[in-house]
Amino acid sequence: MIRLENVTKTYGTEIPAVRDASFEVAKGEFVFMVGPSGSGKSTLLRLMNRQEQPERGAVWVAGKDINEMSDSKVPYLRRNIGNIFQDYKLLLNKTVFENVAFALEVIGRPKHVIRQQVPAVLDLVGLSDKEDRFPHQLSGGEQQRVSIARAFVNRPLILLADEPTGNLDPATGEGIMRLLDRINNTGTTVVMATHDQRIVNMMRRRVVQLDRGVIVRDQERGVYD
Amino acid sequence: MIARISYAFRETWASFKRNVTLTMAAVITSAVSLLLVGSTFLIQRAFDNLLTRWKGDVELIVYVRSDADVNQIQVIQDALNSQPAVIDVSKLRYLDQAQSYAEAQKLFAGDPGTLRLLTPENIPSQFKVVPISQDSNLIRELGEQFRSLAGVREVAYAQDVFDVVARVSQFIRIATTAMSIVLLVVAVGLIWNTIRTAMFARRREIEVMKLVGATNWFIRIPFMLEGLMQGLIGGVLSCLGLWGLNTAWSNAVADFNDTELAALVVTDGYMRFVMFILLGIGAIAGAVGSGIAATRFLDV
Ligand SMILES: Nc1ncnc2c1ncn2[C@@H]1O[C@H](COP(=O)(O)OP(=O)(O)OP(=O)(O)O)[C@@H](O)[C@H]1O
Ligand SMILES: [Mg+2]
Repeated sequence: MIRLENVTKTYGTEIPAVRDASFEVAKGEFVFMVGPSGSGKSTLLRLMNRQEQPERGAVWVAGKDINEMSDSKVPYLRRNIGNIFQDYKLLLNKTVFENVAFALEVIGRPKHVIRQQVPAVLDLVGLSDKEDRFPHQLSGGEQQRVSIARAFVNRPLILLADEPTGNLDPATGEGIMRLLDRINNTGTTVVMATHDQRIVNMMRRRVVQLDRGVIVRDQERGVYD
Repeated sequence: MIARISYAFRETWASFKRNVTLTMAAVITSAVSLLLVGSTFLIQRAFDNLLTRWKGDVELIVYVRSDADVNQIQVIQDALNSQPAVIDVSKLRYLDQAQSYAEAQKLFAGDPGTLRLLTPENIPSQFKVVPISQDSNLIRELGEQFRSLAGVREVAYAQDVFDVVARVSQFIRIATTAMSIVLLVVAVGLIWNTIRTAMFARRREIEVMKLVGATNWFIRIPFMLEGLMQGLIGGVLSCLGLWGLNTAWSNAVADFNDTELAALVVTDGYMRFVMFILLGIGAIAGAVGSGIAATRFLDV
């Protein structure tokens, strides 16, 4: 589903944020990216949906070299990739329903599709009773569920999660983790960057460890360290 | 499709409300610059009217009495042809009454009173004379000789109108063109700025839109629509202003009852054409300017 071949990414003139990274993620797999702050986890995720482009190497997603495709094709690539962030990136002036609907609206999905799919995904994340609330009326965990609903409403092949539990207390973070696990069980490939030792050790999934931009460990059913 | 269109209009309207001051500035500047563009068109047209009689280096016109017979006209023509040293005989033109009447429609555009008195029967026909000699005294001398011929009603010299009018019209033309170009650039700059501000205000939304796979056109179109509306509203205001100016001017000229000034008026048909142009320039400049601005600040 995702394949990186000798990818190097440098910002400005400094040392590379990612250096000569190669690895593959199979369809339906769940992968943790771990490593100290600044080791290149976020950069690696951004390379997977062409928010960044590498100087060297190739990134393949769903059978396509995404850095070879023209700019006009990139939006269609991104419709297959959901994104979740530590800070949720919700639109504060929109309700829960509108935030999720927005993701369908801006890719031109008709109203009847929106009316059917948004409630379904809100049900999946357990927020059916809160669809008319605004983000400031929700807890952090609930806000993260909205952002997961928004990322997943279009049923993407891949979900990229950048420290989704970073702002949450352990119990809430665990709830988010279980939700991501359920989404993974529907066949969606999930790549998750995290510092959350407890969660990584609890899940026992594949772990890719980075250190100063280099992949130093790639372990099936791994632990944090 | 309908969902997309209503989305675009909703966003445009919201952005308008958010940026009232900047939007007003952009609209007013484009209105003023378009007003100047329009004035340039009209002034040029007015002077062209005034100078129609003298098109093609005509320096001397011999007007023939409307009751002159064929023989008298022939005598005048022969007399003109007998002066090849002063007159460019090959360019000598005779406008019969019908042609002179058509010309008068422009000349007296602002003076319907005079125009009503003219008919193709009572209007003088005319010989338009292009001289070879540059010596204006010589031309004047020759013209005076024709006054005494039977059948000649009047002799007119381009010199009398030309020196002043041509220079004034050229000056006005250059000045208004330069000013309208400067103002148009300012207007586009202001529209550019409103778009940048609007995009900054919505940067979170734009970020999310890009992440979930909205196309650049989808993101750009509400902003282009906003620029287009600004340019178009500016165009409408400039049309109203131009209409008012032209009406006031036409009335003033009618009061003068001066035959030369009467030509300095533009009639409805041309006015509509100019208004159409102004709306077009406003809309295109607004849409293209904001489209480029949006692309510039969108960087994929
Ligand atoms: N947009 C950018 N411009 C310049 N340098 C950047 C940019 N983004 C990241 N970097 C640098 O690249 C390196 C890797 O950053 P990255 O954000 O990928 O690390 P990370 O592993 O996600 O860290 P954290 O755990 O703190 O989120 C860091 O040295 C960082 O300073
Ligand atoms: Mg990071």
